[in-house]
Amino acid sequence: MLKSIQQQIERLKQAGVTYVDARWYPFEESNSLMMWNGNLKETSASRESGVGVRVLYKGAWGFSASSDLSNLAAIFDKALDNARVAAERVTFPIRLAEKDAIQASFTSPCQINPFDVPLADKVAFLKEMDACLDQPGVFQRMSALNFTRKQIVFVDSEGSHIEKLITEVFATLRVAGRDEQGAVHERKYHPGRLGDSRGWETIDPRRFAENADRIVAEMNQVLTAEPCPKEDRSVILLPGIMYLQTHETIGHALELDRILGYELAFAGGSFVTLDDFGKLRYGSEKLTVRADATIPNSPGSFGYDDDGVPAQNNLLIDKGILVGAITGRQMVEEANARARRLIFNGSSGANRATSFYRVPIERMTNINIDPGTDGTLDDIVRNTERGIILDGDRSWSIGSNREQFHFATEIGWLVEDGQVSRVVKNPTYKGATLKFWNSLSAVGDESTWELRYVNNCGKGQPNQIMQLGHGIPVCRFDNVRIGE
Amino acid sequence: MKQRILQTLSELRNYALSKGYAISIFYHEEDSYLMRFANSAISLNTNEHLIRLEITAYDGRKRASYEMITDLDKLDEMKQGVDVAAEMVQHVQPLGYEPTLPTFSESFADETAYDAALAALSNAEKLDYFNTVVKGLETEEIRLSGIFSHGVTTVAQINTRSPRTQFVRFSDAQVTVVLAHSQLKWEVQAEQSAQQKADLDPLAVRRELAFLLHHYQNDAPLQIPLGTYDIVFGPAAIADLLSMMNWIGFNGGSLKRGFSFLREEHVGKTVFSDKITLLDDPTRRETFPFKRDGTGIPRHPMPLIEAGVFKGFTWFQDDADEFGMTPTGHTVMHKSLVLQGGDQPVQTLEDLVQMRRDKDVLYIPFLHYMNIVNPSKGIVTASSRFGALLLKQDGSVAVPYNVRLTQSLLDIFGQKVAWLAQTTLPYNTSASYGARNPTAIIVPAFMRVNGLEISHSNASY
Repeated sequence: MLKSIQQQIERLKQAGVTYVDARWYPFEESNSLMMWNGNLKETSASRESGVGVRVLYKGAWGFSASSDLSNLAAIFDKALDNARVAAERVTFPIRLAEKDAIQASFTSPCQINPFDVPLADKVAFLKEMDACLDQPGVFQRMSALNFTRKQIVFVDSEGSHIEKLITEVFATLRVAGRDEQGAVHERKYHPGRLGDSRGWETIDPRRFAENADRIVAEMNQVLTAEPCPKEDRSVILLPGIMYLQTHETIGHALELDRILGYELAFAGGSFVTLDDFGKLRYGSEKLTVRADATIPNSPGSFGYDDDGVPAQNNLLIDKGILVGAITGRQMVEEANARARRLIFNGSSGANRATSFYRVPIERMTNINIDPGTDGTLDDIVRNTERGIILDGDRSWSIGSNREQFHFATEIGWLVEDGQVSRVVKNPTYKGATLKFWNSLSAVGDESTWELRYVNNCGKGQPNQIMQLGHGIPVCRFDNVRIGE
Repeated sequence: MKQRILQTLSELRNYALSKGYAISIFYHEEDSYLMRFANSAISLNTNEHLIRLEITAYDGRKRASYEMITDLDKLDEMKQGVDVAAEMVQHVQPLGYEPTLPTFSESFADETAYDAALAALSNAEKLDYFNTVVKGLETEEIRLSGIFSHGVTTVAQINTRSPRTQFVRFSDAQVTVVLAHSQLKWEVQAEQSAQQKADLDPLAVRRELAFLLHHYQNDAPLQIPLGTYDIVFGPAAIADLLSMMNWIGFNGGSLKRGFSFLREEHVGKTVFSDKITLLDDPTRRETFPFKRDGTGIPRHPMPLIEAGVFKGFTWFQDDADEFGMTPTGHTVMHKSLVLQGGDQPVQTLEDLVQMRRDKDVLYIPFLHYMNIVNPSKGIVTASSRFGALLLKQDGSVAVPYNVRLTQSLLDIFGQKVAWLAQTTLPYNTSASYGARNPTAIIVPAFMRVNGLEISHSNASY
């Protein structure tokens, strides 16, 4: 198959295309199990294979994909036909940033392949977790496991040939209870990533059991709590919500295709402009953010992106100043040309597709905030006069240019004069993105830093679900509206 | 092709029976085309042809499923999929209830929502549509974005209970046209949903865009003060709100799991405005309807809300099995929701702007990134987007920067409803997550709701 793909690439080169690449998935398999109130509601598996072909012709992209590889030439021809039509409406002819021709391979670190683990063992884990969650006050309990494993062969007309084998394991626990008024309150556990690998070995039943007890206890506290007050306070975000704040108001806002207007028909744009790079004070001096695709144990690390560019660790925000973006080969060329200055020195290696039948677009890798110097969570609380500690994502809604947001969390703990006073229910907070990040007044040290994964980030048309990560410390922001 | 699909399913059924398996097979085929525009160029032109086969194996109270992307030429591969599902089911834990493996009482096929002309739409025709819509509206600063998505979706089913089959085929198109100012970052949008080629009317889209563009280019923008406003929602916003209500309102499974703002005691009671009548109406072809559900139950028009009275919950087969309820024919990929029009004779945005008004009215055509803040109370939050207007009492128009609403669906569809437009139209709510599932909701062109609170107001675009 590889030879046939290379022959087709050569054939299209002879036909005059500027560039062509193919992503052949010999296989992609998944396995999902979900237990709800003791019922194994979902036991599913899937397997697929196919090829996606991307052709650049006269400054325009064409793409075609199929699971039927019996007529490979037809897939390549269809991609070229699609590019020919697109070339009839070109306003900025696509150019690709330079990259090296690479022959390489990448295998995500995995000690135990989850697809080698017997189904009975996976079910036993869920039963154990279900029993842990089955406690007084719990009205709904859910535990879930999801596994994926895929082989990707990337070949392009510039001489690159990259093979990747990526395995991911995701697990979740969730409980819900009813308060006196009958309103439902939830608490979830999404484990942070420890160690250096991302296989079945990351599932530690003891750690899950401890956290099952914790989320049940916290949910029961919420059930009898007073409502969150409606006022301005300092908010202290724990990793269970800090990851999402980072994701929605830094990550998506700094995707270069959004900044250039390529997502305006659906996902939206960004308040960031090309003029802002190197100048915009995005946050306080305590804020340093990087896109780091080299962390071994995160789904935001993949070796090489779907442009064939190696994974990198790049600064996005340096001591509060915007310095970088999430980029692929096409967008950096266009951005530099539109800005009439060199903003981006090559692709940052963040162009990814969710499957063989989707085209790669700018996606987050691991968008991380550097740990700070404001100590532990206890230190931050001790130095907070009037605040609220928030954790657990309940809902999130962001303006179309990522300029403002509204989040609801699962639990809040009020802080008065440096001490935690009481739990409140239905906590929310909202703000304007730049004002919020510039109100960052404390960043926790290494002890507060956690690597969280996101396994369901949606973007693009047709929509693509992507996996990525966020390494984040506990952070405090001042004068934030809560309770609305 | 239909015969080949059904023949393949029949062969897989025979194979399963020969092995002693109890299985059901769900076949989904999509032929999808997407032309995407950005910065006034075609940023992507793509197509995909995918056949997904979901095989669910049953063994008493045990159930497991296996999904594959495959091809009709790969019968052996499909048989292996049947074996995998049957193997999986041996190792799973029994459910606390017996899942239903339905018996289709008759074979059923429906291709009335398939239009060969729409299915065969060419690249040139799609490009011509877009060029017609935006001719003379684009400038160096005003740039075109949008999508023209069209395709054919085929769904077929069989199981080992009987040789009878279900087969349905849809054609669909969804068009979104956005004109955005590259520097000021405002956007205006117009959309169209088509089930037949004849539904495509680029000039109607053009008229709406041109009207909005005129206001965004000429009327003063402003940050509106926080507070309560009388709001007129456009079709996109109404459809989005109804989708949310469908999710956390009428669904019996959500009710039992505590994620519904409607309760059992609400059935038969006036919960919403008496101006609100909402049906699940599979006779409306514009909704890409399923006339049989996945278990073979014939689907007929069913009132969900009648003059404000909540009529009852809908039940998927699996939820009905688990909670001891009677399924209502809603084991479907989507309902056919129809919100009936009211008595206000307003057809177009031009009509709305020209209406006499006793106070300032905020027009919000589109709600961006809606999410559920509190499911038990039906509280949702979202921001305005794509062409909001402040219609001033004196008849003038201003362009408001985007605002945020955080409100209960019980308020939005409750006693604060002032009027609904007589005119209704299909609004396409298809998501492009996963397998193609063309969906549209029929909504009034406009709905006015008084006294809703704006909780955030942007200081710029």
